[in-house]
Amino acid sequence: MVFSGRILLVFSLVLVLSALLACTREVEVVREVPVEVEVQVPVEVEREVLVEVLVTPTPAAPTPSADSGSSSTENIYQIGISEDLTTTNYWAFLGPDGTIWNQYVLAGGKVGLYTYSDQRFDWVPALASDFPTDLKEETVNGETFWTTEVPLRQGVKWSDGNDVTAEDFAFTAGTVNDLELKGNWPSIVDPDYFDHAEAINPHLLKIYFKQEPGLARWQFGLAFMPVFSKAYWEPVVEEAKMAGEITEQHKVLYAHEPDGEPTAGGFDFGKWERGAFAEKARNDDFYFTDSITTQYASGAYQETKPGAYEFTAFGDPGGDKTLEYTVGPFADSVIYSIYGSQDATVLALKKGDVDFMLNPLGLSKGLQEQLEDAEGLTTIENASDGVRYLGFNFRREPMSNKAFRQSVATLIDKEFLTQTVLQGVADPVYSMVPAGNVAWYNPDVPQTGKGLSRAERVATAVELLKEAGFTWEVEPRVSEDGRFVEQHGEGLRLPSGDPMPELMIMSPSPGYDPLRSTFAIWIERWLNEVGIPVRAELTGFNLIVEKVFDQQDFDMWILGWGLTLFPDYLENFFHSRHSGLEGHNAGGYNNPEFDRLADELLAETDVERAMDQVFKMQEFLAEELPYVTLFDTPIVETYRSDKLVYPYTQNLGGLQSVGALIGTVQFK
Amino acid sequence: MTGYLVRRAGQMVLTLFLIITVAFFLVQAQPGDYASFYALNPDLPPDVREQIRASFGLDKPLWEQYLIHLKNTVTGNFGVSFGHFPRPVMDVLIERVPRTAVLFLTATVFSFYIGFFLGKAIAWRRGGVLEYTATISGATLFTVFTPAFALMMIWIFSFRLGWLPVGKFLDPLVWRHADVTANHVFGQMLLTAFLFTVFAFLVLWALRKTGRVALARWAGPLIAVGAVVVLLLWSISSVGGLALDILKHMVLPIVTLTLISFAGTMLLTRNSMLETVREDYVMAARAKGLPEKQVRDRHAARNALLPVVTSLVYSLIFAIDGSVIIEVVFSWPGTGLTLLQAVRTEDLPLVMGAMVFIGLFSLLAHVIVDILYVYLDPRIRYQ
Repeated sequence: MVFSGRILLVFSLVLVLSALLACTREVEVVREVPVEVEVQVPVEVEREVLVEVLVTPTPAAPTPSADSGSSSTENIYQIGISEDLTTTNYWAFLGPDGTIWNQYVLAGGKVGLYTYSDQRFDWVPALASDFPTDLKEETVNGETFWTTEVPLRQGVKWSDGNDVTAEDFAFTAGTVNDLELKGNWPSIVDPDYFDHAEAINPHLLKIYFKQEPGLARWQFGLAFMPVFSKAYWEPVVEEAKMAGEITEQHKVLYAHEPDGEPTAGGFDFGKWERGAFAEKARNDDFYFTDSITTQYASGAYQETKPGAYEFTAFGDPGGDKTLEYTVGPFADSVIYSIYGSQDATVLALKKGDVDFMLNPLGLSKGLQEQLEDAEGLTTIENASDGVRYLGFNFRREPMSNKAFRQSVATLIDKEFLTQTVLQGVADPVYSMVPAGNVAWYNPDVPQTGKGLSRAERVATAVELLKEAGFTWEVEPRVSEDGRFVEQHGEGLRLPSGDPMPELMIMSPSPGYDPLRSTFAIWIERWLNEVGIPVRAELTGFNLIVEKVFDQQDFDMWILGWGLTLFPDYLENFFHSRHSGLEGHNAGGYNNPEFDRLADELLAETDVERAMDQVFKMQEFLAEELPYVTLFDTPIVETYRSDKLVYPYTQNLGGLQSVGALIGTVQFK
Repeated sequence: MTGYLVRRAGQMVLTLFLIITVAFFLVQAQPGDYASFYALNPDLPPDVREQIRASFGLDKPLWEQYLIHLKNTVTGNFGVSFGHFPRPVMDVLIERVPRTAVLFLTATVFSFYIGFFLGKAIAWRRGGVLEYTATISGATLFTVFTPAFALMMIWIFSFRLGWLPVGKFLDPLVWRHADVTANHVFGQMLLTAFLFTVFAFLVLWALRKTGRVALARWAGPLIAVGAVVVLLLWSISSVGGLALDILKHMVLPIVTLTLISFAGTMLLTRNSMLETVREDYVMAARAKGLPEKQVRDRHAARNALLPVVTSLVYSLIFAIDGSVIIEVVFSWPGTGLTLLQAVRTEDLPLVMGAMVFIGLFSLLAHVIVDILYVYLDPRIRYQ
């Protein structure tokens, strides 16, 4: 009895003392350490992405590690992630295991023929040594193909010492075709276009297409295909092909756990302790190590590797440099530590257990505040490549009425919601191509309602509706000071004379996304003020997806898209051919003129002309409004700046979209 | 007894069938399916989603899917996980169970030991400082909001004081060059714990069997020697350092779990003891002039043990189920977290596998408790 009392007493004392000690230390930290969090200038949506001139510093002497598990001369880049991998098999990753967490860890292990340049997203060679020849029509054995030839770099090696050759590319694309791989694969190797590839010699590739491929199928599709080592994968693929039905073949291919798979990327996949961490080790034979990439304000692009190669494009190098960096990797190892929640990852970042945390949505406001006064950390903010929108069901009245959609767009005050209600955590968006996607964004896209006061919005919306034949029993009236609607519209009727039906806006609930639910509630209020009877239904994400995409049983909905740099998604979202059940054109928008523009974009093979088409499409959509684009949130990220130096920190989609730059990050 | 067990086995099969059925239809009642998660990928047109559905068997009628899952369960093949495609469900579960078992079994034993010890003490000497302190603090911790409390523990002991790691079950820097997997070490730890428990029981049983009190007093020292030997063997083992790293990561979740759950056992023991101390045989023991400690421990506490043991057995069995909250907050990837993720992504085979696994264990727990009753209380006999 006495003994147990003592235990309890001692235990309580330890707890209390620990808490006191913790609090005491916190006070000391706050008092002694000045706040040094560097918050970089946010990238405004209306502005071009900032590019900063930064000449990569010479790598400093590595910091000795205090931990017994790492050698004292090693630079280890530790990254926190919130979910485990589900595979290390790259075929599976682009198939059924296409999670963002797999992408973070596995991306960079494979190289394609071409890639995007950093920050500017120029289309530049990777395994290719130069741009491909123009597509030409050719008849082979009575069959007509569209062909192109691609010269490959010499001297690029797999980490097992073998050369990377045209055979590897032909094998990879052939495997996708032969095994009819699904998931993301068909968007990379489209079986309707790609026929086969052949190695004219080890460093000259010829690709045969069944029909003329547009940019989306060739330059921004097949050309980005990750190339696999034929020597390593051929036996596995052969075994898969023997497995019987196609689904069984897939299982055999995806079930293979790579062990010692060679890489042509900067890192070799090392170890995966399930649920705990994954590690990649530097590939000492990486071809591009020590090459210098320079981008100029004139638009010119240059890569040089003394004694190996020099590549220049988009004009003559010279004048102001907008970016210059040396390719590494400078990290001996990258460790991806898996944490169960963002809160735990943030604590690990503050404590110094990780140097960066990867998250597709960046840091929430609360977590940003937690990191504000942390020592040795820097917070950065970037525009994201995505959009949240309000969609309409064109199969129902009045959503199919253009005047109705325009009046809804006019009534939504995006600036008020993003800046005043949401305190600047989101940016208003007016085009289906985000402003951060500089090359493809049309800055002249019409911005419906922007800058109007509440009274002007109501007046414009009423005018639009009246012109289209809508009538009220009682028209809405704005107060004298113009700040609120003192008389709500009543008895609104459609142009047909029928009463306006009660409408519903489906939106994610506050628990899932407080921003979209806030928008839904305010849109409900503004529409009801003018007499449009609308109810915001805040519900589960899965339910919205089912109602909108699987059943098409809805009036309006609010969701969002993560987008790609090449905006061929415009065709996907709004072409009438995608308006069937489960199609991405869930609203059923059907406009032959837009369909023609979209078809032309898909068939276009010239980037300049494609840009013109995309600009036109943006203007068209901003006028037609099958979606009212609402807002997007910037990506906020924090990294350990007392340890790391990135070649740049301003990037569309944040540093998470470039895997936190494992190939170029340097150590202080 | 045999007849009873046969009847219970029949009931178990029926209950398991109901569990499988309810679990299947509950998961199916969620909007969408696994392929819905591809709906918002602009690169995946509807036909590709259809092919994904077909490859997972989701294009089949509901009743057919149900029969497939029933068949899979009966044959012990839970199929392939959608979320970990193409890994078999059993493979995923076998990977996760040892991690959860090591953490939650340890925490359960600690919390029951402390709870029973305190419950016994506060029931015996009522109205003292200890009773008020233990009851108030225990009830407070028992009702505290678990995620907030767990995060606070991490904040104090890991972040502010830096004594313990911030979650996870291992340190990558320690494990990056390890030749064995964490599951291998978890398996060794479980095996050691099992063998040591058997050893301790054998020692106790053998010494008590002699009937000599003087010899029985050697049980404690002998078990302690056994513990030292085990520790020595681990320290010279090639994976001793790795096990130590896991133990270091276990401290905070175990302390947290113990703090939030010991009060349950403590209050149960206290209530049970309060009933037994009024029994005639306790009064008789006192009347015989036996020492207070002996009356408390051998006459009152032993008879108050029945509900506590029942609760302990259930807790031990449900330990394999883990706790979603604790596993999420402490980044401990066990069965709880796996089940949550599987439900969220509608990974039907994994949900079904986990549910059957948990259901089977809980049914077994009930049978074990029934059998234990007979041995713990000679008055109970099953017809």
